[in-house]
Amino acid sequence: MSAVSSWVSETLVRDATERRIFAVLGLITVLLVVGVLTGVIGPRFLLFQIALVGMYALLSLGLNVQWGYAGLINFSVAAFWGIGAYCAALLTAPNSPLGLGLHPVFGFLAAIVVSAFIAVLIGIPTLRLREDYLAIASLGLAEVIRAIILNERRWTAGSSGISGIPNLMSWLPLTDAATTAAIVVFLIAVVYLFLRRVHRSPWGRVLRTIRSDEDLAKALGKNTYLFKMQAFVIGSVIMAIAGAFYAHLNLYIDPSDLVPLTTFYIWIAVILGGTGSNRGAVVGAAVVIAIREGTRFLNDIGFIQTLGIDLAPLRLLFVGGLIILIMRFRQDGLLPPKDELIWPAARDESSTGGASPSGAVPDGGTSSNGGDDR
Amino acid sequence: MNDDAYEGARLDKNDVVLKTTDLEKAFGGLVATDGVSIEVDRGTITGMIGPNGAGKSTLFNLISGFYENDAGHVTVNGEEVTDLEPHERARKGLVRTFQTPRRLEGMSVREAMLVGPGPQKGESIFSLFFSGSDVTEEERANIEQTRELLERFEIGHLIDQPSTDLSGGQMKLVELARAFTTDPDILLLDEPVAGVNPTLANDIKRFIRELNEEGQTFLIIEHDMPFIMDLADPIIVLDQGKVLMEGSPDEVRSDDRVIEAYLGGAGP
Ligand SMILES: Nc1ncnc2c1ncn2[C@@H]1O[C@H](COP(=O)(O)OP(=O)(O)O)[C@@H](O)[C@H]1O
Ligand SMILES: [Mg+2]
Repeated sequence: MSAVSSWVSETLVRDATERRIFAVLGLITVLLVVGVLTGVIGPRFLLFQIALVGMYALLSLGLNVQWGYAGLINFSVAAFWGIGAYCAALLTAPNSPLGLGLHPVFGFLAAIVVSAFIAVLIGIPTLRLREDYLAIASLGLAEVIRAIILNERRWTAGSSGISGIPNLMSWLPLTDAATTAAIVVFLIAVVYLFLRRVHRSPWGRVLRTIRSDEDLAKALGKNTYLFKMQAFVIGSVIMAIAGAFYAHLNLYIDPSDLVPLTTFYIWIAVILGGTGSNRGAVVGAAVVIAIREGTRFLNDIGFIQTLGIDLAPLRLLFVGGLIILIMRFRQDGLLPPKDELIWPAARDESSTGGASPSGAVPDGGTSSNGGDDR
Repeated sequence: MNDDAYEGARLDKNDVVLKTTDLEKAFGGLVATDGVSIEVDRGTITGMIGPNGAGKSTLFNLISGFYENDAGHVTVNGEEVTDLEPHERARKGLVRTFQTPRRLEGMSVREAMLVGPGPQKGESIFSLFFSGSDVTEEERANIEQTRELLERFEIGHLIDQPSTDLSGGQMKLVELARAFTTDPDILLLDEPVAGVNPTLANDIKRFIRELNEEGQTFLIIEHDMPFIMDLADPIIVLDQGKVLMEGSPDEVRSDDRVIEAYLGGAGP
């Protein structure tokens, strides 16, 4: 028990404000559970929302590797997501144009391989240049991928989309909704643990250096191009995995799912959660999706009905308002990165004096209150 | 790659760490580096002075590969590096600092220092998963080296500070220490005491001298005349993109051309 609580205090909750943030999140969770138990919220609906949030969390984790770790500006989140979704749909749906009906594992594998390949293709000409080149190229890529899917009907079924995508692991003794929710939790756990290991390491440290000052990293002998390429590929692959998962969640996919709005939401999630922080990416995604999905039901509230205005289309406005609030009161996002990027196994013995691991960067609590230097 | 790309490479003697031959660089019509040939002998602290705009920083950028030269060659330890990327030159032992201190957002001093050594095993994702204990061992050694070096530079107490909260002088010290952890054959310092208070500047001078006594070679650009005259020998004087002269501090001090260049350059 104490091991769990010390893990929580060292890895999840670093200071008083974070404790409050997690308290609020916990409260919402309790409310949702109560909602399900009392029959206000259908369990199927909630599980679907969990799967959806999980998918957005994966996308945010992917973008966080690119933008948060390495400072790479990628505006084609939706495209890599779409690549993953289409790989899964085309290979597994029996009535897709390819008509293969393969096992979902092959869809996921194809998503990984194809997204990695395209990421390298985009990275080669842009990552040696200034950062804005990737931004522009990725904007182009998003449109190109969408146009290809729309127009290459022979391969992609065009605007009619692909249906009949199989459920994942339907042999599990769970409902389909519970299975997908469990799978996304599993995917997030795997990705999160992977990222945690690579981030707090010399590798993550070089990326953090590149993000601040690429010339300095070069001057110290780091092949910044290779490091950026790795971050870009890893992030893109994670996005494609999220896409493949979505195909099996929604069981249908068409090109209209690849709208740039997805990219926008993921950027918001990462910034809101705290750029560079894995915890932040997950929480940011949950908050953004909660607002987006939650505001769907605004019109059902009696009080708002009496006002006679349609609030649901104003959802983007709510997201915008929230960002302004958070940036006003918590500039670095909800859960900004706190870790020193030092290989954890190496610091235990050699850390100087009695400094606790979390106190290594001047402990967040005191310095963010006392040293308000910005 | 090409063995006979440049004949001078083979003619270099072993005790020349860095050599440039007829380096040229123009920005539009402005010739910032105009046929510069210099040599830095192993074990020296070579100074480089010249009025503002003489082309000192440009020359550093050409030597370290941050600017592409229009003509000429750079060799390190007799090996041609003219076509190499900056990071490749750094791996060959040619490591520089920058005139304006570089800020590493969100990094502690310890972290910022640990970027120096390299290549590190832990910079490979593969090693992170498949030879974790090697990574641990190397990281421990690097943390220990960082601690010792900061202590030696009398800033051990700053190790936990955010690297962005340091004074200008402290930042210069951290940069010097970090550059040293790359185990360079030659360290290029661009104005190591610009904007540093006199006490700290004296400390920096002392540390550079100490490292030099242990065999570290330096090429140092510095504006602060007393500082560089006291520290470096020989001194290269640059003016309008050309080498005006090279000599001991005394020779430089008494050279009419140098006096004129400085009076002419520092006019208004
Ligand atoms: N990137 C650049 N683009 C255009 N002009 C430059 C650039 N870098 C330096 N210069 C010009 O080259 C000349 C030499 O500058 P610099 O090498 O910085 O001199 P120093 O370091 O000796 O003061 C100056 O006239 C400067 O304006
Ligand atoms: Mg200069």
